[in-house]
Amino acid sequence: MVLMPRPSRGWRAGAVAGTVVLLLAACSSDDGDGGGNGGGGGGDQPYTIGLSNGFVGSEWRTQMVDGLEAAFAEYEEEGIVDELVVESADTDVNGQIQQIRNLINRGVDAIIVNPNSETALDAVFREATGQGIEVFAIDQAVTSEDVTNVVIDQAEWARISAEWLAAQVGEGGNVVVVNGIAGHPANEMRWGAAEEVFTAAGVNVLTVADGNWDQATGQQVMTNLLATYPDVDGVWTQDGMAEGVFRAVDAAGRIGQITISGEARVGFMRLWNDARANGFQSIGVVNPPGGAVSALHMAVNVLDGQEFASGSIDGNTVTVPIPYTVDETTFDQYWGEAGGESDAYSLDGSLTRDEAAEFFE
Amino acid sequence: MTGVLDRVRGVQLSGLATVAMLVVAVAVNASLQPNFWDSYALTSNFATFVPLVAIAVGQTIVVLSGGLDLSLGAQVTLASVVAVRIVDGSLDRYPLAVAAALGVGLACGALNGLVVALLRLQPIVATFATSFVYSGLALVVLPTPGGSVPFEVTTAYRDSVLGVPVALLLIVALALLWLVLRRHRVMRHVYAVGGDADAAYASLVPVARTRVWAYVLGGLFAALSALAILANTGSGDPFVGNELTLASVAAVVIGGTALAGGRGGAGGSVIGAIVLALVANIIFFADVPTDYRQLVNGAVIILALALAGIPALQKRRAA
Repeated sequence: MVLMPRPSRGWRAGAVAGTVVLLLAACSSDDGDGGGNGGGGGGDQPYTIGLSNGFVGSEWRTQMVDGLEAAFAEYEEEGIVDELVVESADTDVNGQIQQIRNLINRGVDAIIVNPNSETALDAVFREATGQGIEVFAIDQAVTSEDVTNVVIDQAEWARISAEWLAAQVGEGGNVVVVNGIAGHPANEMRWGAAEEVFTAAGVNVLTVADGNWDQATGQQVMTNLLATYPDVDGVWTQDGMAEGVFRAVDAAGRIGQITISGEARVGFMRLWNDARANGFQSIGVVNPPGGAVSALHMAVNVLDGQEFASGSIDGNTVTVPIPYTVDETTFDQYWGEAGGESDAYSLDGSLTRDEAAEFFE
Repeated sequence: MTGVLDRVRGVQLSGLATVAMLVVAVAVNASLQPNFWDSYALTSNFATFVPLVAIAVGQTIVVLSGGLDLSLGAQVTLASVVAVRIVDGSLDRYPLAVAAALGVGLACGALNGLVVALLRLQPIVATFATSFVYSGLALVVLPTPGGSVPFEVTTAYRDSVLGVPVALLLIVALALLWLVLRRHRVMRHVYAVGGDADAAYASLVPVARTRVWAYVLGGLFAALSALAILANTGSGDPFVGNELTLASVAAVVIGGTALAGGRGGAGGSVIGAIVLALVANIIFFADVPTDYRQLVNGAVIILALALAGIPALQKRRAA
């Protein structure tokens, strides 16, 4: 009872010993060989490639990873690459910073990243390039100039379906819009472009609502819109929601009267296919998960020491073309190819190796 | 008398268990990661450790007082978004942002302390409730991720001085801050109140005020954690700290501090936090497929918690 139950000396000794061990460890680091085989330059084949993906909740992301692994296997057979390190988990920006640090510490030569944030990874990207690692952002461009963005033009993607819808409903037609998430960079770019198209074509946009890129939410939002705006001629929506929008319009019995801009996913195309007999038409612009594959081709070229041709890169952004669009004339062809896939499957496309090589000098 | 000796030995044993876990974690990590001792790997590892180390020290103080603060992660989030809104990329405003973050941490801690000590609500429930208040406020302050921290701050955080990473120096500074606090009367009162509140009361220790102080100090370290997170990410995020809460409790337990209060110290929690972060590294370098990582991570943490508890078990048997 004499002693207070206070931390004993053993504690302090333990803590101090641990700190000293770590300090020594830190100081000895300078004697290291400066490791990491990331040191740039051309032709150090085989290359190690890292993928950082911070969201796994969708089939699209699964396709992205699977497609990359398949393309990687081809390079691997040729001895051009040796290892693909995949960091893929649902995580926040902090977690994705950790993912990228892990890849850097793994000594990869290039990192392909589908970023969770436009800006918040800039500091860790600089760590990567500081270690001589090439970084490629896909799906979502980032602000960091250390990174090469390999993305489709989201504005162009939106313009194609908006122009089609504007032509269908004609000047003076009334449309409602089911967008993704307000404030999300991709959503803003898409809607900005689509809105211009509608204004130029004299189409009235009655209202804009958010469907969170989710089929169930899209369906619910569309049901509400139908009740609020009886005089709708058309609806413009983004990918991931067209199936829900279709079901809402179908439930209201108005498939013949309301034109729907669709998506290049199997679930929607199945509904589209069934409704075609009654004269239903739509459009699906491909937003390819294969962007990761295009980025892999670019990464190999860059690691080989190739320089981007001056016309193919704008600042640090390389825009890859939208692979193709599913419409009335091409429906049979693409439905024949993809009809056997699951409903969540996105029609896909990526640059071939030869096409990617054309982006370089 | 023998009881006292056993007790002392028990505390030493649990300290040893924590240090042993650190040594094992470092050894396993180093063997799996060939460049573990390279300067970049060390710098980036320490940069990852600091936020968790800071919040673990804060949680330790609250736990020592016999409480538990489930809102610490939300406090980290709130302090970080307030700071990032104020600093907005300008180095001139950084001192102001630091002051604001500290102010937010102290205010949140004071509110928790008042709710627990004066209204006498159960700490777990009370701080669980305030965590929603704080994370809700964070969403109001910064609805979508954004804002930027001055380039100089993020760069300095990754730098090293004479070969020693700045982040390691920050961890040492946190430990020193704890050692200074521990010599202060308030911390002696915290130990007394956490060990036996009635006895402390009888010895004229101001129990309620001491409890409030414990939460206020917890909030202070949450704010320091927020500043480390900002320096690490360089940008604000309204959800950034929330995952830290339970990790901080795990770090405290791995560090050998008794959840019942009154016994232990933040030195162990610092090591516990580092062990937790190293476990995540080890799982990556052991090539555990991503789908299984959370599962394995959870299992290893359970193991670590069990190991940290063994000395206490032996002590009970001896007594």
